Amino acid sequence: MDIGILRRDGRTDAFFDGTAAERLMIRHCAECDVHLAPDATSCPGCGDEDPGWARASGDASLVSWTVTHGRPAEDGTVPEPALLALVELDEGPWLYTRLAVARAALREGLPLTAAYVHPDEGESYLLFTERGSVG
Amino acid sequence: MSAAIAGLGITELGKVYGRSPRRFAADAVRLAADDAGLRLDELDGLLVSHGLGGSPGIELAETLGLRDLRLLTAMNAFGATAGAMISYAAQSIASGAATAVACVFSDAPLQPRQSSGSAYHRDAREWYGFGGMTAALGLRSVNAFYALAAQRHMARYGTTSEQLGAIAVSTRQWASRNPLAQMRDPITLDDHQNSRWVAEPLHLLDCCLVSNGAVAVVVTSADRAAALAQPPVHVWGWGQGHPGHRKERGSAFGLSTGAAISGPAAMKMAGVTVADIDVCQLYDCYTYTVLVSLEDYGFCGKGEGGAFAASGALAPGGALPTNTGGGQLSGYYMWGMTPLSEAVIQARGHGGDRQVDRRDVLLVSGNGGILDHHSTLIVSPHRKGA
Repeated sequence: MDIGILRRDGRTDAFFDGTAAERLMIRHCAECDVHLAPDATSCPGCGDEDPGWARASGDASLVSWTVTHGRPAEDGTVPEPALLALVELDEGPWLYTRLAVARAALREGLPLTAAYVHPDEGESYLLFTERGSVG
Repeated sequence: MSAAIAGLGITELGKVYGRSPRRFAADAVRLAADDAGLRLDELDGLLVSHGLGGSPGIELAETLGLRDLRLLTAMNAFGATAGAMISYAAQSIASGAATAVACVFSDAPLQPRQSSGSAYHRDAREWYGFGGMTAALGLRSVNAFYALAAQRHMARYGTTSEQLGAIAVSTRQWASRNPLAQMRDPITLDDHQNSRWVAEPLHLLDCCLVSNGAVAVVVTSADRAAALAQPPVHVWGWGQGHPGHRKERGSAFGLSTGAAISGPAAMKMAGVTVADIDVCQLYDCYTYTVLVSLEDYGFCGKGEGGAFAASGALAPGGALPTNTGGGQLSGYYMWGMTPLSEAVIQARGHGGDRQVDRRDVLLVSGNGGILDHHSTLIVSPHRKGA
């Protein structure tokens, strides 16, 4: 799966340090004791614009999913479809992500867990796989 | 002092090249003033809404040579902007802050020899940060986000692709009777099912068009509108709804929309209920948004939108004529001005081959962002309370 090359943007060092070490890091506002998505730009409770980081379990459940199909090229070739999803982390925040799950298994609430990919170039990233599945 | 829509201006729409969004907007305002029977210098208010390209803004007043305006601002609630502009104009008329307000939306995302999809598409080789990762993994078009919303509705309520297809088919039936519509060849449910996937569960025929062009209306007092060139379209009520679905546990994303807030508010102000609505003009960036909006307005129960759409109610001859100009799916994509413009045409009785019989109360729906922003207008050819 070629997704291009991922680079840091200055706000997400903790997140990409985490993916490199196979840990899911999300935002956590200590003041409000609330977990937020990794790209949260502020805490809706207190307004803190740089909430801290906390390690999430990596466990999640499936909220919704889509298979995207790129536009066919002029020569008729079609890009590889992508199975994308909204997942709910056990800590509460939702993430947009990609799944490595069999189509037949897809259902609301499907238990998932984070899996990590370490490309030759660029940052490591995460996908979600079915929890308890082999491989 | 209640307000009425007195003028409507629609430029050439669709794959129309060589004009900037500012030029389209200026053309539409001139057309709307002319339609109302007003000189341009009789406008004392201008509300401007642009597409994702960011132009035009309030410099449009200068482009048009408007002087001594008493109301001028750019507004943006994405697909809910048209409804928001009409409500602001109506309140300005009521307070006496302005007497004749043009409201315009303009956009020109299409370029020659470029597909409609790519006008709203991003592609790159390198991606930055967490958002970049999400985009790199494939979440980089609005289609995917709406597909996630539609899929959640399907999983929860048993909504089917065929039910979405019924909306595509009925909308095209209406479009085939509208000379303004870009897609007028009839389609069948099989055509819908066989159209290529864009983002499952959305087929190509579940997705709206992309159009260049502009639409403007002129809002003035009901009294003044009665003396102008066109049959007035009275503004009975309005509402907005911004549900603030946070992406976290408990969110109703995909299951319900701001129509559940803006609809009851607008109907209460207008003094009507869903049973009084004769015609719906619903924001149909996707077939799914029609289905979920019908539920949230209360035309059917939550989760019953699919069966309602498949019943034929929305089609010509149906109990609730909906998107009678072909909407954004088959007509033209001018954000919230698509449903508003068709409501004005129907309320005036100028619908030609697609004119509905009963048009005493019309509902106009706007939806912006990924179901983040919603507006509702209730309009009528009659004065409120008359």
